[in-house]
Amino acid sequence: MALNYDDVEVGKKMPVYTSMPITRTHLVRYAGASGDFNPLHYDQTFAKMIGMKNIIAHGMLIMGIAGEAITFWIENKYLRKFNVRFLSMTEPVDLDDMENTKDRATIIVSGGVVKKFEENGEKRIQCDIIAQDALGSKKLSGFFIAALP
Amino acid sequence: MADKSKLGMEFPTYTFVVEKDKIVEFAIAVSQKEDKEQINPIYYDEEAAKKAGYQGIPVPPTFPTSSFFWTGGGLMATVKTLGIDLSKLLHREEEYEYFGSIYAGDVITRKMKVIDMLKKGTRDKIVEVTVLETELINQRGELVLKYRTKLIER
Repeated sequence: MALNYDDVEVGKKMPVYTSMPITRTHLVRYAGASGDFNPLHYDQTFAKMIGMKNIIAHGMLIMGIAGEAITFWIENKYLRKFNVRFLSMTEPVDLDDMENTKDRATIIVSGGVVKKFEENGEKRIQCDIIAQDALGSKKLSGFFIAALP
Repeated sequence: MADKSKLGMEFPTYTFVVEKDKIVEFAIAVSQKEDKEQINPIYYDEEAAKKAGYQGIPVPPTFPTSSFFWTGGGLMATVKTLGIDLSKLLHREEEYEYFGSIYAGDVITRKMKVIDMLKKGTRDKIVEVTVLETELINQRGELVLKYRTKLIER
């Protein structure tokens, strides 16, 4: 799967990556793994107290999923920069209403090469990246830079 | 409301070890898997990692943000220091610059400072913005990563 600089053209798309519908269990697991225990991500009573109707996923979980999408295509060690701006909140799926809630909790990551250049003696590519849910609502957008062999 | 006097403030320096099992736990979390046999072996098997061209077990790209939560009392203590209201806190932007690699067993020193604090928006809707910059330095004194975190109060 090794990707070479010379084989990559501007406009090339990265493989589209689709997450599983994010459950509350995924949020709890991410909270424990990352150490981000903001109750907004798992405690319904806290969400209610601050005027939100539901708990929401960690933005960093969505970015982590985007990171998975990238490293599915380009090896981790080649990454030089990764930048995102968070655009909207993500509510987890309700297990008792999968049909109506799974799309809002399914993250689809896509992107493509926008620039090829040399920097610090390396051949680098810059790619745009975007994550949206299955309803089309944008969760984050940004870019990453990778140095390729 | 963020305490503007904290602009330029440097947080105390912390040192932590990159635990092998924590990498596995994180890789499972972001790939939404159940156990380690389902994740990329470079995150748990040193042989597989070396075969793939790493000097040790690497960390997933967004793993370094955990250093924010594992040191200095974590999120709650940090927002308190900054005067940020947790109930209004939102994460706006995150950027990583990778200068080197972080491997399992590395001893990382975290240096974090407040590089910007401002108000943005119109008279009706003011958003408070705080930007933190964190440097992660390994046991050999090499700057391996820098990340910038933009937090807002909605």
